Amino acid sequence: MVIDLDGREAAAPGAAPPVPEVAETAFQAAVARGGRAPSRLGRWFWGLFAALMSLVLGMAAWTWVTGLLTAVPVLGWLAVALVTGLIVVLVALAVREAAALARLGRIDAIQEAAGRALADGDLAAARAVVARVERLYAGRAETGWGLARLAERQAEVLDADGLLRLAGVEVLGPLDQLAALEVEAAARQVAAVTAFVPVALADVATALAANLRMIRAIAEIYGGRGGTFGSVRLIRGVMGHLVATGAVAVGDDLISSVAGGGVLSKVSRRFGEGVINGALTARVGVAAMEVCRPIPFGPGERPSVTGMLKRALTGVFTTET
Amino acid sequence: MVIGAIAEGIARGVETVVDGVSAPFAEPAIRLGVTGLSRAGKTVFITSLVANLMNRGRMPQLRAAQTGAIRAAWLQPQPDDTVARFDYESHMARLSAAEPSWPVGTRAVSELRLSLKVAPRGWLSGLQGLRTVHLDIVDYPGEWLLDLGLLEKSYAGWSADALARAARRPGGDDYAGLMQGVDGRAPYEETVAQGLAGGWAAALGVAKAAGFSDCGPGRFLLPGDLAGSPVLTFAPLPPDEAAPRGSLWREFARRFEAYKRLVVKPFFRDHFAKVDRQVVLVDVLGAIHAGPRAVEDLRAAMADILAVFRPGRNAWLSRLLGGRRVERILFAATKADHLHHLQHAQLTAVTAALLREAKDRADFAGARTEAMSIAALRATVEEMVRHEGADLPMVRGRRLDTGGQAAFWPGRLPEDPAHLLSPAREGAERWLDGDFAVMRFAPARLTLKPGEGPPHIRLDRAAEFLIGDRL
Repeated sequence: MVIDLDGREAAAPGAAPPVPEVAETAFQAAVARGGRAPSRLGRWFWGLFAALMSLVLGMAAWTWVTGLLTAVPVLGWLAVALVTGLIVVLVALAVREAAALARLGRIDAIQEAAGRALADGDLAAARAVVARVERLYAGRAETGWGLARLAERQAEVLDADGLLRLAGVEVLGPLDQLAALEVEAAARQVAAVTAFVPVALADVATALAANLRMIRAIAEIYGGRGGTFGSVRLIRGVMGHLVATGAVAVGDDLISSVAGGGVLSKVSRRFGEGVINGALTARVGVAAMEVCRPIPFGPGERPSVTGMLKRALTGVFTTET
Repeated sequence: MVIGAIAEGIARGVETVVDGVSAPFAEPAIRLGVTGLSRAGKTVFITSLVANLMNRGRMPQLRAAQTGAIRAAWLQPQPDDTVARFDYESHMARLSAAEPSWPVGTRAVSELRLSLKVAPRGWLSGLQGLRTVHLDIVDYPGEWLLDLGLLEKSYAGWSADALARAARRPGGDDYAGLMQGVDGRAPYEETVAQGLAGGWAAALGVAKAAGFSDCGPGRFLLPGDLAGSPVLTFAPLPPDEAAPRGSLWREFARRFEAYKRLVVKPFFRDHFAKVDRQVVLVDVLGAIHAGPRAVEDLRAAMADILAVFRPGRNAWLSRLLGGRRVERILFAATKADHLHHLQHAQLTAVTAALLREAKDRADFAGARTEAMSIAALRATVEEMVRHEGADLPMVRGRRLDTGGQAAFWPGRLPEDPAHLLSPAREGAERWLDGDFAVMRFAPARLTLKPGEGPPHIRLDRAAEFLIGDRL
């Protein structure tokens, strides 16, 4: 049977979507599962629980304050003043946290836009990303020179990747150096404490504290100064990044520092442990830089764990850095 | 003749082995082969590349320049004592004059060596001082490049090809008329030969003026100091293997072989055999403007020429034993400043499709290839102009003919290059989908800040691809 369709527009097989495959790969399944939103029931539970708790707390405070007002008016007014003050401070804190989250969100949005511009090779999108980066760092003393040089050159670069790379080198280059210094300092501290302090668990505590401080410092350098919730989100981002890229990074870079640590551990077990802990700290630092940097590192631009560890550890034994 | 070929082969083998053995101890030299037909923009490319490597302010995409690894650049006297020096200074003076103009067509081979002082990188960088990297570039008339395609052909094969091509071109009929009165089997006479060669050269000149590329042998158009010599006094005749000794056909066949042996081979051996990076400059826009036949002609000519080069990787041992291969080839559509950057992707796609044969061969041999739209000297600025209710991406510059400012839009290049190349391959007379205009812009007057080279489009990216890994 043939049906002639003369009036219809010509079929365009080139633009048609691909024929769907029945078999689903394990990777696709994992992505689909990971991308699923948290369950609706759980969200309702937490929402209702929080509402109920705040109601209970509010009611309790209200009855307590009104009771105190009738019993001892002076103390009652004091309580009113204290509660008001607390509420004001809480609101201020909430605003600060929201601002911090918004800053992180802005960097995330720039990062995503930059990734899309790179993937599509879209020059207009890349120019928009660069304009946002310029606004983000407009008032910073470290980036003044870089911004001026970028403004001079950016009209001449007609490739999306070239333009983003130029902005990355010119504007973010000084910030990268500051962040690398932070990472080196943290790695050095962790390595030194592991190697020299004989107290058990001291290295664990130091590593935790140094890593947290390093992540926050890096975020601050790139303009994503975070509050408490912001920090939690940041740390989750860094850890997620580490989990996602961990195996690759160990393969390319970390292995040599760990192997070097192996040689050093023949001399002293604690020194070897120190080197490995330092290397892991540096790896976390690089992940934090990748999470916080508005423009992704280009090929060959990512600071190497081995290089940073080398500079950090020569700092243990010599005073100059 | 056989003994001569063997002797030459041995001599070249010895030379490559000597080069290979001494290479690790000598300073590294990159030989950049700039290949392009006449009017593709070789001289401007070389001039602008050298100027931008000497003043690196405008090379952000060349990583060694961006990071400051290139400390200094010096234009040296070149190593070949018998070749003229590329006249960089006067070309640059023309381009940066108060009334700038394009360099005149190149008429002879010239060479230059740019030496760069480069800070080393890598884990041994602390132990080494500054490295020196030499960049050797040769400039030559683009017409001569066509001869490389002859190396693989015999006189009979070439004659058949050339006559078939000429029949479809302007000027071909005149030569066919000239050939009517000549018998290839008749005893050779110099006056007849002179007449035929002159007629062939005239036909080539007419075809070239009409925008055709494959107008060989190249020395007919630009003979240099060989003008009038027997080696240039031949012309295609219908293949006739039975022609007796001493006939016109035999004599022409002999001269064709002599042309290959005495003119083409030395040119290839001296300037292209040792090339390790190659940039192929193609004026795709000009060919598209000239029509489907010119595009097909350009495709065939470039395929013939590029078949002579040996792409591949230079491993340490293979360099020692087998001579150099071309490791990286950049296929560049020149004059990209005649288009708004929104159309550069299409231009690049057409270029890649046009040179597909050579690109696939090089990729298969292990060389790295890339296609790009570049403008070695940018003569225009980009502008969005409202035209009939829509924004039209145009470029604005100074017209070469009148000297006034003009905005220009060449026409819509198709997303799929096959829409251009298929009609060209089928021999269509004109484009079906529309017309493509071309405009010749004069170079703009330059106002350069200290440390800045002349403006360009993607010259830095091209340099990064070609030589970035050695800096």
